[in-house]
Amino acid sequence: MKKFLYVLLIIILVLFALKFFINADIPELETLKTAKTESLAPVKLPASPKTVTINGIDYLQSQAPVGGFGGVLVASTIGEGPKTFNPFNTKDATSATMADTMFDGLVATRAKDGEAVPKLAKSFEISPDGKTYTFKLRRGIKWSDNKPITAEDVVFTWNKIILTGLGNTSTRDSVLIDGQLPKVEKTDDYTVKFTTIKPFAPFLRILSAPIAPKHIFEPAVRKGEKYFQSFWSTTTPPKNFVISGAFKLKEYVPAQRIVFERNPNYYEINLNGEKLPYLDKIIYLIVGDLNNEILKFEAKELDTISLRGSNVGRYKKREAKSDFIIYNIGPDTGTMFVAINMNKRKNEQGKYYVATKKQAWFNDRNFRYAIDWAIDRQNMVNNIANGLASPLFTAESLNSIYLNKKLANGHPKDLKKAKEYLKKSGFYWKNKILYDKRNNRVEFDLYTNAGNTEREAIGVMVKQDLEDLGMRVNFKPVEFNSLVNKLVNSLDWDLVIMGLTGTPLEPHNGKNVWYSTGSLHLFNQRPDGKATDRFDWEVKLDKIIDEASLKITFNDRKKLYDEYQQIIYDEKPIIYLYSPIRVIAIRKKFGNIFPSPLSGVTYNLDEIYVKQKVKSKK
Amino acid sequence: MQILIYILKRILQTIPLLIVVSLISFFIIRLSPVDPLAELKLNPSISKETLQKETERLGLNKPIYVQYALWAKAFVQGDLGVCSTGESVAGKLKERIPNTLLLTALVILLTWLVGVPLGILAAISWKTPLDRMLTVLTSIGMAIPSFFFAILLLIFAVKTGWFPVGGLTSYNFNEMNLLGKIWDITHHLILPTTVLFTISLAGLQRQMRANLLDVLDSDYVKFARAKGLSEFKVLYKHALRNAINPMITLLGFEFASLLSGAALTEYVFQYPGLGRLVLEAVLKSDINLVMASLMMGAVMLVLGNLIADILLIFTDPRIRTVNSKQ
Repeated sequence: MKKFLYVLLIIILVLFALKFFINADIPELETLKTAKTESLAPVKLPASPKTVTINGIDYLQSQAPVGGFGGVLVASTIGEGPKTFNPFNTKDATSATMADTMFDGLVATRAKDGEAVPKLAKSFEISPDGKTYTFKLRRGIKWSDNKPITAEDVVFTWNKIILTGLGNTSTRDSVLIDGQLPKVEKTDDYTVKFTTIKPFAPFLRILSAPIAPKHIFEPAVRKGEKYFQSFWSTTTPPKNFVISGAFKLKEYVPAQRIVFERNPNYYEINLNGEKLPYLDKIIYLIVGDLNNEILKFEAKELDTISLRGSNVGRYKKREAKSDFIIYNIGPDTGTMFVAINMNKRKNEQGKYYVATKKQAWFNDRNFRYAIDWAIDRQNMVNNIANGLASPLFTAESLNSIYLNKKLANGHPKDLKKAKEYLKKSGFYWKNKILYDKRNNRVEFDLYTNAGNTEREAIGVMVKQDLEDLGMRVNFKPVEFNSLVNKLVNSLDWDLVIMGLTGTPLEPHNGKNVWYSTGSLHLFNQRPDGKATDRFDWEVKLDKIIDEASLKITFNDRKKLYDEYQQIIYDEKPIIYLYSPIRVIAIRKKFGNIFPSPLSGVTYNLDEIYVKQKVKSKK
Repeated sequence: MQILIYILKRILQTIPLLIVVSLISFFIIRLSPVDPLAELKLNPSISKETLQKETERLGLNKPIYVQYALWAKAFVQGDLGVCSTGESVAGKLKERIPNTLLLTALVILLTWLVGVPLGILAAISWKTPLDRMLTVLTSIGMAIPSFFFAILLLIFAVKTGWFPVGGLTSYNFNEMNLLGKIWDITHHLILPTTVLFTISLAGLQRQMRANLLDVLDSDYVKFARAKGLSEFKVLYKHALRNAINPMITLLGFEFASLLSGAALTEYVFQYPGLGRLVLEAVLKSDINLVMASLMMGAVMLVLGNLIADILLIFTDPRIRTVNSKQ
């Protein structure tokens, strides 16, 4: 009797607790509403910066409204902070952001349309055959230690650091055209010529790589790779850094913050001819997780934050009475998708990676279509992403300048249609259970990485949607590393939920995924890296990727990339689900904020200033 | 002289212990499916050559026992190796150890200064309202999980704005004068110290109280009282001396927790100590860093116990006689 009472008591307690949780979980609707009605208000971006020559110095002149000098902007970086300040050694996003703050490349991306425009270079010309790029450098501009920036620095950076494969080799890998590296030559002190063996469209944007000061880096390069790995590490005193960018490292406090101060030698001026940047300092606080970031923003320790989930609704409500503005800058480059393992190869022991009956299903286009039509993307957007996402149907992300707009809207969920596709391929149902024409019950595994709550939630929804078709889906979240091993080495998976980030500017960067010999060609990975047994459409994709990289003009490339997205849409080896929407809050006291779907909110740190009025009110 | 031999013996005994600890930790980490390169492998812009280069740099292409041998050889020579990011492990640890020590040493000092007297107070006023009240308070202290208490305090800091939200220094720390700096650090330390203090105080106070109560009940205390000694003398000369022995053993463990005891609280408060560093290292299977911190933990534990035992030799005559007979 006593036991019974205890059990009853516990049940009641649990019920109360559940009730409490359900009540506490309301703001979703609010978020949905805001996400739907609020799209990015069209902000008028200022004209792009021009080059003006004053006293023989080729300044870059910002065309943004003139602001006041002084002030600090405090932003955040999640994780354990940068691992290095050497821009050629960076392997993680935080280090790259920090290093890139200090260095400018020859070209930069224009926020308005993603066009590559001269930055450290004054101008550039591309020869009619598309193989030679001639860069004119700015005369009279200086490194932060007052030494001039010349063609020597550019040639040194490319020939001695990037092309020799010192540090992070990804830039070198990306300019390898048919196994050949480009040639970099100095014509005179302010002219550099790049020559590629073939026209290569992504090349221009790759030239946004940082340029190193030769007089500082040369001794380090001479000492070899091992020394270079530790050159400009996080323990190097910041005063040794010589930079070209708007801000220079002032202080790095491990696990706490990174402080940048303005570079008085920076070559950009405002409309009044005063030297930029406006801000005295930029501070990145190193925060361990999202929750701490939110707390710090609420305690006013941070000036800007990227908002997620239900916080958006909460902040939107408070926005009117607060000192911050929320910008919805639209879908970002992150993509969530389900990939299907179409591999028909055998492993070294002579066993198939994928069981033969499953091979038949996964290689059947109707089967893949059925999955595509059965998945309810809008439902995922509403329930998993709190409305802060857009359904996705294309291989290019929604903010890509190469997006195939015809496909972007996709189609709604339609179970009937999904069933029709299955019937076409001879699948049938008995007691609502799906069988193929060889009477095999349709059952397979769906993997994702455990611990990622978003992907786990997607997995549950995909499983439910597919079970409506009578399929049996074993949803298996596994540890991230085991998953990677499955995807890259052992290849024994059926379906997987993954996400990758890309770039809105250069579809060629997806080559490792879509090229038939790519190292991340998930759905039909070739372990030997040889282009054998290609599907017809894989052949076509390879051809398009090659061809599009040879075309230089945007319109030529757009046509090819439209076709590439169409092929992927038609074949569906990867079924795209949705792209998250980015929402950023920033304090009202900052001026010259021009949010752009391509670049975000604080990309123009050199032009952002603190408004005097708001400051004096405080 | 005898004590010196004893210490030497103890130190020699720890060597096989450390070897076993290192073997177990190394193989558990390496045999776990965590792949330090997993993230690179899923990065579309990383080529196969780069991956190959990274594998070689981290020594992952060699068999596990060779990896262990290489690590052990370097460790014996005093070289802790480099992290997976190429930074030196010793340097990274050196950055963080002072911060952690500052916090834990402060907490241990405070808890002992407050906890021991409170324990004595509770024991001598056994079963009075004061004792009951202290019991309730310490029970609460023991019952609150540290991370939860830390989060509550963080929310308190955000709502009131009285305290900074985590960290150790403000961003303009370097422009402050000395007084400002001291105040800034104190200001940041208050909340994490409160959490750790509350929780370890509870345990310590109850331990002290139980020990003293035990002793107060023994025959020789009764005898001392019957002899007509003043209560003060009974308590502080006879009872307390005997009650303190178990506390010294406890102090040994506290010593071990100097470097690792505050990890959870450090994480919640974003305190720049060892906790965050080691957690990230474990998640990324950064073997050298994890091994260094594990070995450090083992050494600290052994050392703590040794210190406690030596102290016991001084405080407890019974141990002294046993030792000298040997």
